[in-house]
Amino acid sequence: MKKTTNAIELQNIQTIYEGEKTPAIYDINFTLESGEFIAIIGPNGAGKTTLLETINGILPYTNGIGFVFRKEIPKNKTAIRKETGYIIQNLDIDPQTPFLCKDIVMSGRCGKIGLFRFATAEDWEKVWHSMGLVGMIDFADRPVGKLSGGELQKILFARALAQEPKLLLLDEPFSNLDVSARNQMEILLNRIHEKYQMIIIMVSHDLSFIPSRCTRVIVLDKGKIIMDGKKTKILTSEGLKIIFNKNDVRP
Amino acid sequence: MTDLPLVLFITSIFGAILAGFVCSTMGVFVVRMNLSSIGFCMSHAAFAGAAFGLMISIDPLISAVLFSFGTALVLGPLSEKARLESNVVIGFLFSIMIALAFIFINFIPGQAASGAALRILWGSIFSVGYTDLMLLALLSFILVLFVILFYKELMAVMFHRKLAESVGINTKLFYFTVLFLTGFAVSLSLRLVGGLLVFALIINPTSTAYQFFYDFKKIIIFSPIVGVISCLAGFWLSLVTDFPIGASIVIVSAVVFAIAIVVSPKRKKGNGGRKNLIQKSSVELVR
Repeated sequence: MKKTTNAIELQNIQTIYEGEKTPAIYDINFTLESGEFIAIIGPNGAGKTTLLETINGILPYTNGIGFVFRKEIPKNKTAIRKETGYIIQNLDIDPQTPFLCKDIVMSGRCGKIGLFRFATAEDWEKVWHSMGLVGMIDFADRPVGKLSGGELQKILFARALAQEPKLLLLDEPFSNLDVSARNQMEILLNRIHEKYQMIIIMVSHDLSFIPSRCTRVIVLDKGKIIMDGKKTKILTSEGLKIIFNKNDVRP
Repeated sequence: MTDLPLVLFITSIFGAILAGFVCSTMGVFVVRMNLSSIGFCMSHAAFAGAAFGLMISIDPLISAVLFSFGTALVLGPLSEKARLESNVVIGFLFSIMIALAFIFINFIPGQAASGAALRILWGSIFSVGYTDLMLLALLSFILVLFVILFYKELMAVMFHRKLAESVGINTKLFYFTVLFLTGFAVSLSLRLVGGLLVFALIINPTSTAYQFFYDFKKIIIFSPIVGVISCLAGFWLSLVTDFPIGASIVIVSAVVFAIAIVVSPKRKKGNGGRKNLIQKSSVELVR
């Protein structure tokens, strides 16, 4: 099969969970250029998280072929993950968790630093820089379990940024945040994208918080892409209203 | 007080220090991975192994070590394959080991030999030999190297496995290595502390360290210190009172843990800072 020139290319991707018969996602086809900021939206259970984890190779796809940075996903998943920041959905942390925020942010650089190597002053510089970007530098020595939902989200964001990723995967980055924290996060995402021009794929079931720099929206329903296009066009389309009303979610 | 020949005394002291070190170092990871019952499972695997050794007339310690080592090797892949919580698989393996132990004991010729198998569960300071010391020292060295070389990976895996995986860490490899080294630590500490009580030496010092720190690095340093001190104090208690060594070590480490719970700064309400601030501003006002 001919290799792609796009930053990300998925062709007829299907992912089935172990022990399941029905695919969680199927017939997934799309390409992404470098520096694109897209949102994948859809009701709960549409397969959004599955799609994200198929892209970074945590979940192996069962059909089709996928490339990230022109590398075939299953054969290069470790190399791809080193270039990919991932913020998972609703991370549940015990208040007694024995880790400091600065160490969590540093753990984002683990893959980049590599085995048998120690974190250098330069690595720590990246950690302080990314903590500064999200406004959490004063929290460096705080235990991660003592943070509020919004603060934890920012630390996880700093962790992903410390990795200096070319691709950022955000799974429901606004969930569990109050309106003020959501606004801060939105500003932050816009600023980061403007500054670093990385590819950002954001998954959300909430249509009211899609950052302004996000220009393209893909709509996923029951494991299949049903719309893909410009944000303004998709968000005002009748089809979207039907999908979300059908699933009892208000756009 | 028991009088011991000098060589035996020194061997026993070093045995206590090294067993305390290896068990409580592995405890840091075992507690974090929520695998507290692993020591219990492996000690019973060792018991089954000892019974097997006696049944086929070989050194029961060798077969005990092999059985508990084998359990450590099987545990990780089995829980991955069965997609079950490790604690469920530990329960499954534990029951199999007990069943095997009963079967093997049934075939051991003579009651004295059954007693030898049971001694693996109790432990004895007199049974620690030069080879045990060398193996414990080797394991201690491997553990120090393992923690120093892979500290950043271990920390990432211990915080969140999926997040660690998402940055390109082979989490399975580290998870299995921790289980394997725990099996090694339990196997080598059996003669000293005994299979039934080695479990406490894994859990108690780490639980004590958890009472004081939120920093994983400090827990990794503090837990072996508590483990070694508990073992030395337990050794002394055993000499003074003629208690079995394993029981003495466990009682000391349990008392240390109980004290840690009482004095833990984590349970104190943090109004000290505010109090100081109020005092400071009152002093400034008076001036």
